[in-house]
Amino acid sequence: MAEYRVLLVDDEEEFVSALSERLMLRGIEVDSALNGEEALARMEEKEFEVVILDVMMPGLSGLEVLRQIKSTHPNTQVILLTGHGATREGMEGMRLGAFDYLIKPVDIEEMLEKMKEAAKTAHTD
Amino acid sequence: MQTKVEELSRVKEIGFMGKVTASLSHEIKNTLAIINESVGLMGDLLRQDTPENWPQYSRLTELTASIEEQVQRNADIIKRLNQFAHSMDKSVVDLDLNETVRQTVVLAQRFATLRRVNLETQLHSTPLHLQGDPFRLLYVIFGFIERAINCSPREAEVTVKTARSGEMFQVTVTDHGTVGADDIEALVAASFSAEAEHGESDLAVLAQTMKALGGTIAVEEGAGGPSKVILSFPASMPTI
Repeated sequence: MAEYRVLLVDDEEEFVSALSERLMLRGIEVDSALNGEEALARMEEKEFEVVILDVMMPGLSGLEVLRQIKSTHPNTQVILLTGHGATREGMEGMRLGAFDYLIKPVDIEEMLEKMKEAAKTAHTD
Repeated sequence: MQTKVEELSRVKEIGFMGKVTASLSHEIKNTLAIINESVGLMGDLLRQDTPENWPQYSRLTELTASIEEQVQRNADIIKRLNQFAHSMDKSVVDLDLNETVRQTVVLAQRFATLRRVNLETQLHSTPLHLQGDPFRLLYVIFGFIERAINCSPREAEVTVKTARSGEMFQVTVTDHGTVGADDIEALVAASFSAEAEHGESDLAVLAQTMKALGGTIAVEEGAGGPSKVILSFPASMPTI
């Protein structure tokens, strides 16, 4: 049984598909959503310890999704995916309560490490 | 002399270019992320199920590793492109001249490599904080670095140094120019003259930009060595 459950949210379907498969090969239970609305709906159906959330998405922005997650699921940790570090969105995300951020293209080992740390914190809330 | 309206138009036009470039670089990053995960998955699947005595195993493993390296190389290039694009966001920002020179030298590196010239930096030990137009600063510093590169023989070293001199901040570019220091000084003086305000040579335009930034250009000829072009900037540059 997986140690923690991850929701992967990004509007790029091929990215989500490949990354989900890579995480599942490593024994991680992964669900995915292609936009903010879908992500929030998934979270009503199931508990996730960690959400990997793209900052720039059409429709509901990553930051707005983050805001709503922190309001309705405060125990869930969010790791932001951003194209560039130390951007306005990245820093605003940290201020809104994101656990950390990763810069695309991501290093999967770095992502696994951050998810593990985030999941530990989620359990102790 | 440019009117305020012309200057405002210029700022807006550059801001537009920066905004679109930043947006495109973001899109490229997304496609790189897809390639990265796809090739990563190929590697994962190869390692998982493929017998190592399969003839193509090691070649495919090498290829996936090579693609991953190129993805990272592209990610670094796009980071530079994005930083360059964002230099066009605003015409007045707080910046560190050391960081601006570092960024300019990175942008100029390929030009130096193509000419087989070694580009080095000697940055001041502490940050040099000033207020100014980041894009114009990049443009003018790059312009003199490019000139030094183009004038230098193969294997020559072009050094870009930052320093503080009283209230002014300096960027010094070593110039191995075939044109002697006296001639450069005359060209610069002519470029700063009223008659040259509409001059179109590269040096004239650079000199006009320096003037707009509130800066000055000086040239020193080293004893038996290369000439130095010294760009001096005030801590707070004029705004439109």
